[in-house]
Amino acid sequence: MTGIDGCLAEAMTIPGARGASLVDWTSGLALGEAGEGPGRDHESAAADTAELARLAFENSAFTGATARTGPVEDLIVTARGSYHLVRFVETGFDSSVFLYLWLDRAEANLAVALFRLKGLTDRLVLA
Amino acid sequence: MTARAPAGPLSPDTAEPASETAGRTLDRLASERATGALHGCAGALYLADGAVVHAESPAVPDLGRRLTARGRLSPQAWEEAVAEGGPGYRAGSLLVERGRLSRGELELCHLSALFDAAYFVLSPLGPGLRAPDRFLGGARHWLGPIRPVPVPLLRREVVRRRRLLERAWPRPEVDAAPVVRTSDGGAGPAQATGRRAVLAAADGVRTPVQIARDLGRPAFATLLDVRRLAAAGLVRTPCADTPTAPVPPPPAAPELSLLYRIRDALEAL
Repeated sequence: MTGIDGCLAEAMTIPGARGASLVDWTSGLALGEAGEGPGRDHESAAADTAELARLAFENSAFTGATARTGPVEDLIVTARGSYHLVRFVETGFDSSVFLYLWLDRAEANLAVALFRLKGLTDRLVLA
Repeated sequence: MTARAPAGPLSPDTAEPASETAGRTLDRLASERATGALHGCAGALYLADGAVVHAESPAVPDLGRRLTARGRLSPQAWEEAVAEGGPGYRAGSLLVERGRLSRGELELCHLSALFDAAYFVLSPLGPGLRAPDRFLGGARHWLGPIRPVPVPLLRREVVRRRRLLERAWPRPEVDAAPVVRTSDGGAGPAQATGRRAVLAAADGVRTPVQIARDLGRPAFATLLDVRRLAAAGLVRTPCADTPTAPVPPPPAAPELSLLYRIRDALEAL
C-alpha cells in the first residue's frame, strides 16, 4: 500500500466496489477518490457522508462518551441496490478521517467488505 | 486541470475583498503552472507546477506540532527529519523512508495541515491581517511535495469552511478572543472527544488559536468546536460587550534553528 491512492486502489478490488473515497468529516472534504461517486460526484457525496459520520461520531448515544464504549468504528447504510460503508481511520495525531466505500449490493458480501475495510484502514496508518 | 474562479454559488458575497484578490492571484498562478510561494503576514501558500503543495500560517499548528502533540513522533525524530531532509527539500519523504511514519499518515496529516493553514491564509483572523499579496517565484518548501492540491479544490474548500462556521454560529467574535466556559459548560451534554478537550481548555485566557496549538488540533476544527459550543451556550467570550482588541499575531514561532537551517540550505544552492 502506498498512501491514499494505494488504499483507494485496493478498496476498489473489494467485490462489488463501485466507488471509494477518503473523507475529512470536519468539513466534508474528499482527500482522494477512486471509481464512481453515488448519484452525483464524489465531492458532494463526501459532504453528505460526512454529515452522517459526524452525527454518529459526536452523538453520545453511539459513543457513550467513554473510552470503553467508544469510539464508533463503522457505519453501514443499506439501500435496495447498494451498500454504503464508512470506516473511521484511527490515527496517532488529531484527525477526522473516514474511508467510504460504495458497493453494488447484488455483487457485494457485507461481511467480507467490512473485514477488508478494517484491514485497509489499519494498514493505511501502519508504519 | 484549468484554473478558473469557481462559478456561481462558490463565490460568496461574504468574502472580504482581500481574500478574493488573493484567490484571483492563485487562479492566475495555477493557470501559469507557477512554482513559488504566495506570502504575506497571514502566512504562505507554496505552489509547484500550479498546484498547492504546502501552506503555513501562524494561526495553525504545523505538521511537526501535530505529529508530536500526542506522541506519534518524538520531537527528536521530527527535528532529525527536518535537519537531514530539509536542505534537500525532502523532510517529509525522509520520515517515510526511515519508517517513522506510513505514507498514508504523512499524507493525511499533511493534507489536514495544508487545508487548515490555507483557510487562515485566505480568511485571515482579525481585520489587521491581509491576505498574501507577494509572490516569490521559484521558492520551495523544505518538506518537499507530498500530495499536491489543485487550486480550484482549495478555493472551494475555503468557501465551504467559511460557510460551516457561519452556519454553526454566525458570530465571528468568538474566533479571535479568549473563550471561557459558562456555568453550564461543565454540565452540558456529553461532547465528542476533541470538542471536550477544547471545552476543558476554554479558560478565559487562551484564544481558540492558542488552544489549537496547545492541543495540536487543527485550528479550523477548533474554531468550529468553539462556535458550536458558543451556540450551545457552553462557552462565551469573557467580556462580550467590550470591543475585542486587535488580536496580536501569535508569537512568530521563533524557531531560530529552523531558520538557520533554511538559510544554510539556501546558501548551499
